[in-house]
Amino acid sequence: MGKGVGQGAGIFAVALICGIASGMFGIGGGVLLVPLLGLLYGFSQHRAQGTSLVALIPPTGVLALMAYARQGFVSWKTGLLLIPGVFLGGILGGRLAEKLQPQKMRQVFAGILFALGTWQAFSAWWR
Amino acid sequence: MTLIILLLGLGVGVLVGLLGIGGGVVLVPAMVYLLGMDQHLAQGTSLFILLPPIGLGALREYWKQGQVDLRAGVLCALGMLLGAYGGSLVALPLASRHLKGMFGCFLVLSAILLWRKTRLEGKSVSAKGESASG
Repeated sequence: MGKGVGQGAGIFAVALICGIASGMFGIGGGVLLVPLLGLLYGFSQHRAQGTSLVALIPPTGVLALMAYARQGFVSWKTGLLLIPGVFLGGILGGRLAEKLQPQKMRQVFAGILFALGTWQAFSAWWR
Repeated sequence: MTLIILLLGLGVGVLVGLLGIGGGVVLVPAMVYLLGMDQHLAQGTSLFILLPPIGLGALREYWKQGQVDLRAGVLCALGMLLGAYGGSLVALPLASRHLKGMFGCFLVLSAILLWRKTRLEGKSVSAKGESASG
């Protein structure tokens, strides 16, 4: 890998953008990071997903969370109840991803996201 | 209610492992519609859920298969730490209604990107398979 520094700086910039989306929308950012690593840097889908999971291991949202918590926008109890399920489900999904040809799965997921997003935008602005 | 929340967590977790994402993108609308939370509260709670390394189990499965670029991952984590703080400063003063609408637009954009990625992959899977892992 001779293209080291330039590519590193580019990836960092991409991650900054994903981070802004993460803080603005309270998400992990992987949903943006995975396709961008693939589209811009030619990562294979499995590799993009594995790498995205690395980026999600450290508490990257901690500064954003503190900003939300200061204004009382955190439901700690619901959060605590959700964490174990998400962790266990993650292991399950990781196993499944090796076995499945996840292309179809991702297209279905993209379709669901599209519908969900359209619905949210409509219900917020045209109700 | 508690049972719904536990099951919701499990369902989101499967997506985390399957798609290599944090899960917040599904958690936030689920908390807004299933649990009736306000948009800001759902987003703050989602950030809290993403704080512990919930993807660790999934990551282990990918690691075993050699599907991880550690250097890129660390760079991404750094960028996201800084970016996330900046993003929260933008989001907090917004009205919940506008934030919800923008979240919707963001989901649509992500859907398009994911869809494009799968189409490209479909076309060039044989050509790229080798070079992408380099």
